Amino acid sequence: MTLQVRIKKSFGAGRDGTSGRFRSDSGLPETHSAMSDLDVDFEAPAGFTILFGASGSGKTTTLKAISGIVRPDSGRICIDGDVIFDSVAGVNLPIRTRGIGFVFQDLALFPHLTSLENVEFGISGLTAADRRRRVQTLIEGLRISHIVNRKPREISGGEAQRVALARALSRLPRLLLLDEPLSAIDEETKLSIISDLKRINRELQLPILYVTHSREEAISLGEKLIVYERGRIVGRGEPIEIFGTPIASSIARLTGVENIFIGRVVSRSETGGTLTVEVSDKEGKCTIDVPYGNQAEGGSVTVAVSAGDILLATEEPRHTSLRNILTGRITSIEDQSNRTIIKVKAGVNWSTSVTRQAVRELGLAQGREVWLAFKTHSCYLLDQAE
Amino acid sequence: MSEIDWFPLILSLRVALIATAFVVVLGVALGWLLARKRFFGREFLDAAVTLPLVLPPTVLGYYLLVLLGRRSFVGRAIESITGQPLVFTWRGAVVAAGIGALPLVVKTSRTAIASVDTNLEDAARTLGQSEWRVFQRVTMPLASRGIIAAGMLAFARALGDFGATLMVAGNIPGKTQTAAIAIFDASQAGRDNYALVLVVILSAVTLLLVYSTNKLTSGR
Repeated sequence: MTLQVRIKKSFGAGRDGTSGRFRSDSGLPETHSAMSDLDVDFEAPAGFTILFGASGSGKTTTLKAISGIVRPDSGRICIDGDVIFDSVAGVNLPIRTRGIGFVFQDLALFPHLTSLENVEFGISGLTAADRRRRVQTLIEGLRISHIVNRKPREISGGEAQRVALARALSRLPRLLLLDEPLSAIDEETKLSIISDLKRINRELQLPILYVTHSREEAISLGEKLIVYERGRIVGRGEPIEIFGTPIASSIARLTGVENIFIGRVVSRSETGGTLTVEVSDKEGKCTIDVPYGNQAEGGSVTVAVSAGDILLATEEPRHTSLRNILTGRITSIEDQSNRTIIKVKAGVNWSTSVTRQAVRELGLAQGREVWLAFKTHSCYLLDQAE
Repeated sequence: MSEIDWFPLILSLRVALIATAFVVVLGVALGWLLARKRFFGREFLDAAVTLPLVLPPTVLGYYLLVLLGRRSFVGRAIESITGQPLVFTWRGAVVAAGIGALPLVVKTSRTAIASVDTNLEDAARTLGQSEWRVFQRVTMPLASRGIIAAGMLAFARALGDFGATLMVAGNIPGKTQTAAIAIFDASQAGRDNYALVLVVILSAVTLLLVYSTNKLTSGR
């Protein structure tokens, strides 16, 4: 199964005479003052596709357009060749016949119904026995048997999330849309739901569009990543590729961390409190020390270092406590509004930020030999892709 | 005065009950339309259904007489279907009382329906529900307090209708004389004790209804 999406939607003035408003198919006016016009084109095969970007960049609108809640101005949406929207051919299937499971950002559980009634809500056309079997599978699969008789306001955020997921899967959808499903729950619950999502993904083999602005979620689920900015797609690929390559400025700002590399644990030192990791990118590799963790020797890890945490020196730093000292040459100097980004090839391509004054006083220039130094604890290990 | 004539009170209750049944269906439908659909003339429709609240009852009664009278098209159609005219019968009183109560039902149910989260309705649509089923299974249950309140207000209002009822149904003792009209009649004729009995009963019932409505819409 593959989802194909090509849609445009303008939120500017003049569409129906009112600025910043548009008609949704449920007939309500919706105000989107900070909305950018949407113009996207992508495909999502079976498995996770992550729509990543800041809020207001059009991710949620994309999900609403695919589900039929919002009507695009133009474009075409197909699931496995079956056209559900086509502005040229005049096709616009109603929401209820699109066969799409949708977990809303606020979950939208029916407050007047119990968890069980929520899960059963959309199931129709089954014999009583089949119905019971399907509900049973969902409830056990998502581990919510203990709360079936409780109403949404009586259950925790993580449980509500599972109920919403079970409900979205109850009609055996051919596409699953998840809008920031893990934004409001604690780390531990998050990890267990992520592992459930991965299992659902393996079992059902349907396209899952997953909207998030969390880098960790993107990396831990990540098969395919689509980066949104102001209604456009500005990057696509595997999370590691996107986050790990010398980064387009927009993506860097979204992710907040300039240096992200994939690496392999070379050795572990529990007494020293460090892991030694060999990180690499397309052009080279180098070895650094990162905080001790439970990653196995030879296992792969993702390491993130913020550019602001890296010290740049024109002589080799001696007699310091810094564990990571690398040497290389400056490949570029880029002035930004309040800082200067210096890129240094030291095994891999590093970004470090300094003040303009430092650039002058140290006489930094492209090609100059420099040293990079940073603490073990400036290195962050991100959740690992499976 | 030895024997109290209960007919006007019973007629009023019957008229109000039937009028409420009709007007709740119509008023909730209009309330839903106004809360959930955008269409040309929406606010005009809202204003039009509000009119009975502010127009003099005589004006309302006049409109209804013209619209439903025996010489009008609608009036003749009704007469040919049911075999009897609408005006100057208790059925006319139902129409008059219902129209008077309509604005209350529309306003109250519009507010109640608008307060239901549209995400819940969209969620129901993604779960394969038709517009009617969405209304029936999500919107209505979640707006039920407001809708019940609307019904109670409508009943209270219909129970007390005077001007429009008088013009459309007349004042025929034992036929179309409702409690409100009987009070007027009794007071004019100096039968003050009888008027007082009806006044007290009507006031008590209405007070109870409005009190319950307030409890229902403010509580949670």
